[in-house]
Amino acid sequence: MTSGLPRTGHALAGAIALSVLCGLAAFVPVVAAETPGIGAPAGLDLSAPGVAWAGFVPPKAPNYAVARLFNDFASPATSLGPVTDGPDHPYANNEVAREMHIQPTYRVADLNNAAGRNLLPWVREALGRQNEIVLQGRNGETREARCWETGVPAFHLNPGLMHVIQTPREVVLFLTGRARHIWLDVPHSANPKPSWYGESVGHYEGDTLVVDTIGFNDRTFVDSYRTPHTDKLHVVERLRLIDGGNTLEVAFTVDDPGAFYQPWSGTRNRHRVVNPNAKPQEFDCPAFNDDYFNIGLEPVPTAEKPEF
Amino acid sequence: MKVSCGFGIGLSFALALALNSAAVAARDISGTYWATSYSPTIQVVGGGLPPLNAAGRAAYEMVEAGLKDGSIVDKARRVCVPDGVPRVLATPYPFEIFQVPAGQVTFLYEMNHQVRVIVMDKPLPSRQALIVDPKYNGHSVGHWDGDTLVVESAGFSDRTFLDASGLPHSDEMTTMERIRKVGNQLEDVITIHDPEMYERDWQARFVYDERNDVRLQDYACNDTHRDLSGVKGVRR
Repeated sequence: MTSGLPRTGHALAGAIALSVLCGLAAFVPVVAAETPGIGAPAGLDLSAPGVAWAGFVPPKAPNYAVARLFNDFASPATSLGPVTDGPDHPYANNEVAREMHIQPTYRVADLNNAAGRNLLPWVREALGRQNEIVLQGRNGETREARCWETGVPAFHLNPGLMHVIQTPREVVLFLTGRARHIWLDVPHSANPKPSWYGESVGHYEGDTLVVDTIGFNDRTFVDSYRTPHTDKLHVVERLRLIDGGNTLEVAFTVDDPGAFYQPWSGTRNRHRVVNPNAKPQEFDCPAFNDDYFNIGLEPVPTAEKPEF
Repeated sequence: MKVSCGFGIGLSFALALALNSAAVAARDISGTYWATSYSPTIQVVGGGLPPLNAAGRAAYEMVEAGLKDGSIVDKARRVCVPDGVPRVLATPYPFEIFQVPAGQVTFLYEMNHQVRVIVMDKPLPSRQALIVDPKYNGHSVGHWDGDTLVVESAGFSDRTFLDASGLPHSDEMTTMERIRKVGNQLEDVITIHDPEMYERDWQARFVYDERNDVRLQDYACNDTHRDLSGVKGVRR
């Protein structure tokens, strides 16, 4: 019967027979060969099957420090950090409110602490106006909650799952129905077209992915307090695994001479979650997100006429 | 025995690697693609109109009238929710296919950053699981048939149209796609199965040019987007 087999069939049959004799170890390298390279160092594989990165994992016991960072940046220990709340108007997100048995609040920025004093006058004024609106109980939602593109670094604030795809050409970050591209080992374009997430180029330094982003439009906010910026915004992010690979640390520096006196920095940690059924989500945000209670919410992005 | 084992491992490794790399090369549809033409009405393979049944015709007439008088909103264009399958296949914008990580094929569309994840070599979730979790682009599983990616989808939301004219479907629709590279083009032939709206199964075919020179761009509703003058049939 085997005489009809093509030559490779003969050889393969022989090889399989030998392999069976010698154990299945002979086929192990084949599995390895089938897995396409992701171009990333082994110490920064963020895209293993079934793995995603959660911005918030509910603590097992009440933990104010964890609850507080539900969708906010962590401030650096010593250097200048992001805009925060202040003693006059402590911010209680839903997680904090639940733990402390108090009513949740919207965010009111502290304009007098170090981060507040770092804002150029027009930014300070803009945030001051936003504070007034929020104190009237209006438009306190984040830009993300109103379905707008979030920009950088605000992209990282979402408490949900971030999925990552790594290829030798690019790293794609999927978060809450949005996607962001980081082009690897290439220089910036001469004149990147202004865009929501800017032009991100990246490279690996050991087990750290360093991302440099310019070319932003001026239509996003850098944080959940609605701190504006200009098209001179320049963000450098460093992504690395800590805690034995269970935490993805995103440390970033924000520089915008059109908005801030000095560059400032912050971090946002994401936690490794293994769920083979979790996938990047569809962008469903604008489907049912009208201002049902007439509280001055920003309209969701809407096309007056069909684009094509 | 030691020698023959070593020989066996070496031979099987070399041969399997050779055969395997041939298969892997053929089973590679990753890359960036861009259609060169666009049609607001879906083109049926073999010509003619989609074979709507009585219920389908009634639904189509209602949607067409509603779109005209504004009582029905095309949310995919108005607020840029996902197009759904197969309308997303008609996109005049580029899209990118990823075959990492293992076990999934991901379609990322520039238009409104729509994402479709095809779960490889697994069955579709049960009907009960699909009913409670409808998706614009459905739930999709895939497997390779030679060098063709076969994708089965179900669990669609009934809030989408099959094309820009408002062609209807029910939430019982299932689709089967055969996706393959032909030279430097990608072909997707989709079969629509929806007895609630159609008299019989029917097919549409979409072809895209491979465009690895293109980078996907950001997209937000009502924004100024990339130049589509190279895509025949787009009227902005």
